[in-house]
Amino acid sequence: MYVTHALTASISVLTLAFLLAASAARAQGPYSADDVKAGGVLFGGLCVTCHGFNGTGGAGPPLTRPKLLNAPDDAALRVVISDGIPDRGMPRVRRTTPDELRQLMAYVRSLGATTQAPVKGNPTKGAQIYASSGCATCHIVRGQGGVLGPELTDIGYLRGAAYLRQAIVDPGAVLPSGTLPIPSRGYREFLPVRVIKADGSVVRGVRLNEDVFTLQVRDQSGRMHSFRKSETKAIQKEDGISLMPPFGDRLKNEDLDDLVAYLASLGGAR
Amino acid sequence: MKSRVAGLKACSHVAVVAAIACAAIWMSGALIDAQVPYQRLLRAASEPQNWLTYGGSYKSQRYSALDQINRQTVSRLKVAWAYQMRPGVVETSPLVADGMMYITEPPSTVTAIDVRSGRPVWTYTPSIPPDVIVIGSPPVNRGVAILDDTVYFGTVNGHLIALDARSGGVRWDVTVQDNKSGYYLTLAPLALDGKVIVGVSGAETGIRGFVDAYDSKSGKLLWRTYTIPAPGEPGFDTWGKGNGWQTGGGSTWLTGSYDPDLKLLYWTTGNPAPDWNADNRPGDNLYTDAVLALDPETGKMKWHFQFTPEDVHDWDSNQVVILFEGTVAGRERKLLGQANRNGFYYVLDRETGAFLTGVPYAKQTWADGLDPKGRPIRKKGIAPSLEGTLVFPNIQGAANWHSPTYSPQTKLFYQHAREMGTIYYKGDAVYKPGTAFTGGGGRYVNGDDASSAIRALDATTGKMKWEFPLLSPGFSSLLSTAGGLVFSGTEEGNFIALDAETGKSLWDIQLGGPVRGMPISYAVDGKQFVAIPAGTTLFVFGL
Repeated sequence: MYVTHALTASISVLTLAFLLAASAARAQGPYSADDVKAGGVLFGGLCVTCHGFNGTGGAGPPLTRPKLLNAPDDAALRVVISDGIPDRGMPRVRRTTPDELRQLMAYVRSLGATTQAPVKGNPTKGAQIYASSGCATCHIVRGQGGVLGPELTDIGYLRGAAYLRQAIVDPGAVLPSGTLPIPSRGYREFLPVRVIKADGSVVRGVRLNEDVFTLQVRDQSGRMHSFRKSETKAIQKEDGISLMPPFGDRLKNEDLDDLVAYLASLGGAR
Repeated sequence: MKSRVAGLKACSHVAVVAAIACAAIWMSGALIDAQVPYQRLLRAASEPQNWLTYGGSYKSQRYSALDQINRQTVSRLKVAWAYQMRPGVVETSPLVADGMMYITEPPSTVTAIDVRSGRPVWTYTPSIPPDVIVIGSPPVNRGVAILDDTVYFGTVNGHLIALDARSGGVRWDVTVQDNKSGYYLTLAPLALDGKVIVGVSGAETGIRGFVDAYDSKSGKLLWRTYTIPAPGEPGFDTWGKGNGWQTGGGSTWLTGSYDPDLKLLYWTTGNPAPDWNADNRPGDNLYTDAVLALDPETGKMKWHFQFTPEDVHDWDSNQVVILFEGTVAGRERKLLGQANRNGFYYVLDRETGAFLTGVPYAKQTWADGLDPKGRPIRKKGIAPSLEGTLVFPNIQGAANWHSPTYSPQTKLFYQHAREMGTIYYKGDAVYKPGTAFTGGGGRYVNGDDASSAIRALDATTGKMKWEFPLLSPGFSSLLSTAGGLVFSGTEEGNFIALDAETGKSLWDIQLGGPVRGMPISYAVDGKQFVAIPAGTTLFVFGL
């Protein structure tokens, strides 16, 4: 039947209560090497798209850390894998049997036990590059900065280093989705749109939300616009690009490493 | 009481244009208690001032013969009243009988509302145990049935309850099947002559599905027809040599249709269990993902048609089947149409079950069409896998529980088609009563990479006449009216009126929550209204 997956977690206060009760009865304990191995195979199918190969992170957080914010203990990890974190972009990809759940938990915990390779680069120098490159024009870090792009205060916790590097080099290729409560439902966030108004003038900005008949836009100066689609001449969704300029050819490779190291340090001390 | 029956007979024989005036006479004195004998249900379409069954009539066309709200007047629609429901997911279809509206609220509450004022006059909430097992859908309810002075509804803990329509008092309460094994009810029952028909949800826990008929006065079980054959019964050989049939699923979780002339009850069935892993059920898995034609007196199966044999994508075929008449190959025939979750639109001869037409109405990547008998010609490499397999339609289907509509005016079948892919995974499946028995799952390809549309199909050929594009694949039902309109909603909260002939948008309003309730139309005191639940609020619009 599986009718409204995205809502499953919210709905199922009833179901969840049952599942939790059932989970509590399940055996816990140390994981076997076979569990870790089998969990790795499952992870490769279900989790790797967001959490990266070997859990090193991507559009989803790296799991190669001893303590996970949303899964500090096994009870919490069990709930996260079983139900996802739908309002923060993590779906429950599928239901798991108790064995499969244990195997996934074993693999995720094994990632936390591995020695994390340090991110290449110097975060202190990276902070200077962040300041000198004008990043704060569009991004907030710890309360300071502009609002056109995503807030970065916790970005090092939420994203892997490889993703951060790509977001700097080619930001249009990795627009986030599922990180904000609006627009939700998997829609790309900060999608550039060009609206040609009835009088021929153009508004360019990022899509905040839309429905069948209307579109809400924040332009490059931070102003809000509300459009009735039928009253515009054209609406172009500029898929594949970002309003953020690509910094790949503006930064030396070493500077790029430093900037990634700085961003990876944000929100990391928990 | 006699005068009311006389009034009813008069109503049932007048032309539709006079129905509203007739309703005004019927309603004089603001009589708001219900008396809905079977004879009124049989002719439900001829008293469009009421909405007496789930699909508007036994044909499930979700069509209203009212035309006061029409292409010219629809732009003047405004909110008449709103009713705020209990929190949860709302997928209900209201009924209206003689000035009273009966709705269900999540998960299993029934409320009667005075349609003149929007004020509730009674509400009933059964005791639902905190450890209720609802696996496979949100804990929703899709509406009630009414027969005589009684309102019938199902509960998420597997009960069928009969309430006095005037007070909400309990006439009887029976356990359809034990919820501890995962059986639960989400559908609106279907009331026939002295009988109440229901089906069950729960294939995701490995239930064995069935259709039940209960005596409307006593609640006594009259017959039960299993959707999975037992050893020795026809179709048992489609389950391999193991015991997969015992946990084979085949839920019956949506309301059926009925042809009183043919004396056939049409009930649809859901996916085999486990959903995405067929290792223990090699074969066609009859009678899952099928439509069954049943004798309403005995439950005996007259014919069946299976849409998706050996399903491994959770493509339940429970979608509403609409009954209509049409000309096929030069011959007028009694037809049955369904836009299936698997992406194909089917037309069957509802007398014999013969397959007549099957064409895609949404993107599908799993079949090279259908053979002359309607059996899918399956592509290779579409099965769920450990690493994931991308297939269209998505895991919730090109269609789902949301109702289509058919307009006898335009002879078009209108469907909200969901365009989305899913990466399907195969997993382990271990049966333990009352726990998930699904064997995998899927990851959506959603957001800007998905879409949906309201499509108008020639009902006999499935050929698309027009489409109205939408954004997110949602669960909005459709209502067509004699005013030349089709009403629907969107996942983003729009409620829309389209021109039924052209698909042009004529009116819309933002209601602030996903439109997953089902639209109906009715009239009171000579005025037509359209009701639609959105988010957790029921809105009623009038001119």
